[in-house]
Amino acid sequence: MKVSLVVNGSPREVDLPPLSRLLDALRGPLGLTGTKEGCAEGECGACTVLLDGDPVNACLVAIGQCEGRRVTTVEGLACAGHLSPLQRCFVEEGGAQCGICTPGMLLSAEALLARSPDPSELEVREALAGNLCRCTGYQRIVESVRAAAALRRGGGGAAP
Amino acid sequence: MSLADLRLFEMRHVAGLGPLCEIMAERAALGAPVTLLAGGTDWVVEQELRPPLEVAAGGPAAPPLVVDVSRLSDLRGISLSGDTLRVGAATTYLEMLRSDAIAARAPLLARMSRDVGAVQIQARGTLGGNLATASPAADGVAALAAYDATVVVQSVRGERRIPMSALQTGYKRTSRAPDEVIVAVEIALPAPGSPWYWRKIGARRAQAISKVALAGVAEVRSGRAARLGLGMASVAPTTALLPSVRALCVSRPLAELTGAEVDAAVAQDISPIDDVRSTRGYREHCARGVVRELLRQLGAQV
Ligand SMILES: Cc1cc2nc3c(=O)[nH]c(=O)nc-3n(C[C@H](O)[C@H](O)[C@H](O)COP(=O)(O)OP(=O)(O)OC[C@H]3O[C@@H](n4cnc5c(N)ncnc54)[C@H](O)[C@@H]3O)c2cc1C
Ligand code: FES
Ligand code: FES
Repeated sequence: MKVSLVVNGSPREVDLPPLSRLLDALRGPLGLTGTKEGCAEGECGACTVLLDGDPVNACLVAIGQCEGRRVTTVEGLACAGHLSPLQRCFVEEGGAQCGICTPGMLLSAEALLARSPDPSELEVREALAGNLCRCTGYQRIVESVRAAAALRRGGGGAAP
Repeated sequence: MSLADLRLFEMRHVAGLGPLCEIMAERAALGAPVTLLAGGTDWVVEQELRPPLEVAAGGPAAPPLVVDVSRLSDLRGISLSGDTLRVGAATTYLEMLRSDAIAARAPLLARMSRDVGAVQIQARGTLGGNLATASPAADGVAALAAYDATVVVQSVRGERRIPMSALQTGYKRTSRAPDEVIVAVEIALPAPGSPWYWRKIGARRAQAISKVALAGVAEVRSGRAARLGLGMASVAPTTALLPSVRALCVSRPLAELTGAEVDAAVAQDISPIDDVRSTRGYREHCARGVVRELLRQLGAQV
C-alpha cells in the first residue's frame, strides 16, 4: 500500500503492507533511525513521535493509518545543523545519559512546550509519564525541559 | 510473538458507516468477522501476544480483514444537544480532555481520560476500543457505567441501543454482534454542577492498569441521592455497576447510612480475585474505601 505523509516537513511516500508499524516505516524505508524501539507495546515511549502534533507510540500506529498526516521525529527538531533549545538543554542539564529514551523524551517535551510555554514541574512529569528512562532518575530530564521552557520564553526560538 | 504477521493482514478504508456495515455483514456471514482498528492500543498489543497465524489451526484461510475506523467521520465528534451528550466511538481520550462540552457537562470523562495510560495512549486510544475490548479494568467503561450511558451500535439490520447494564456479558465479552459497529455513546447528563467522583488506584499514576477504580455520578436533593450512578473497574469479571450500593444509597437520606451497611452492600456487588496486579484482599479494602469516600463527598457520615 502506498502511503503519502509529511515527515519532518517534507512530503514522503512509502510502499509497505498497510499494517506495518509507523515505527518500521520510519526506521526502514524512511531511514530515520533516531526513533527507537523498546517494548513494542506502548509501555516505554522510546518510539514516541508526533502525529499531527500529538505524541503517539509509533509501535502502535499502522502506516496505513497515516495517509496525509504530519509526523515529527527527533531528526525534525534540529534546524540547519543546530540543536533546538530543547535539545541543547538536554545536553547542558544532563538530561541524556545512554540516550535510548532521549528521542522519545524530546518529542513528548516538544509537544508539551508547544501547548504550554511555562509548565509546572508536575505538568512536565505528567507529559513525560509515558517515557521510561533507565539512566537519569528523571530529575535532570525534568530540569532540562523547564530550562528549555524558560529559554523559549526568553526568545531562544522554537523548534521548526 | 507474531507482530510479523501484521503485514499479512489486509486493511481497508471505507467512505462511511453504510459501506462499513455492508462489509461487516458480508464477512460475519462467512464466519470471519472484520476487525475494526481505531487507536490500536489494545489490538496491536494483542497481536504481539498471540501465537503466529499459521499455528492457529482451523482459523480462517485468508488473514482477517482490518478496517481503519480511526478517522471515520460517522464515528467522530462530541456534541451536546439539550441534556444529552453524544460522543463518537472513535473519539480519543485526548479529544475528550480538550473538549469544552465535556469540561462543562461531563467532567468525569475528562478526569478519567487523564488517568488512561499516558499522553501517547490518550492520543490514540478511543472509547469505542475500550468498550469493545470490554476489559474489567477498562477505565472508560467504568465512567460510562457511572453515567448509565447508552451504547449506539449499527449494522445492516439497523441501529440498536444498548444500556451499559446490558453491554458486558462476561470477561471481555459483550452483547455486540460480530457485524455491529459501535457508533457512539449517549449520556443523559445530570444537572450542571452535579457532584461526580473518580478515583483510580494503580501501581503508579501513569501507565498503570487499575487495581481498583471507581467512577460516580450523583444528583443530591435535600440530603437524598436522587440519582446515583457507579462503575467500578477490576473487582469482577465485568465492570461492576454496584446495584446493591446504588439501591441502598437512594433508599434513605444519605446522612442515615452507616458504614457497616455500605460495606456489606459493596461486598455483595464485587467478586475480586488475586492476579498479577493485586490481591483479592487489597481490592476489597480499596473498594470499601473508595465507595465510602464518594458517599462522604455527598454528605454521608460513613
Ligand atoms: C501502555 C498502555 C496503557 C493502557 N492504559 C490503559 C488504562 O489506563 N486504562 C484503560 O482503560 N485502558 C488502558 N489501555 C488499553 C487501551 O488503551 C484502551 O482500552 C483503549 O481505549 C483502546 O482503544 P483503541 O482505539 O486503541 O482500540 P483498538 O486497539 O483500535 O481496538 C480494540 C478492539 O476494539 C474493537 N473496536 C474498536 N473500535 C470499535 C468500534 N467503533 N466498534 C466496534 N469495535 C471496535 C477493535 O476491533 C478491537 O477488537 C492501555 C493500553 C496500553 C498499550
Ligand atoms: S517501543 Fe513503542 S512504547 Fe515501547
Ligand atoms: S538516558 Fe538512558 S534510558 Fe534514559
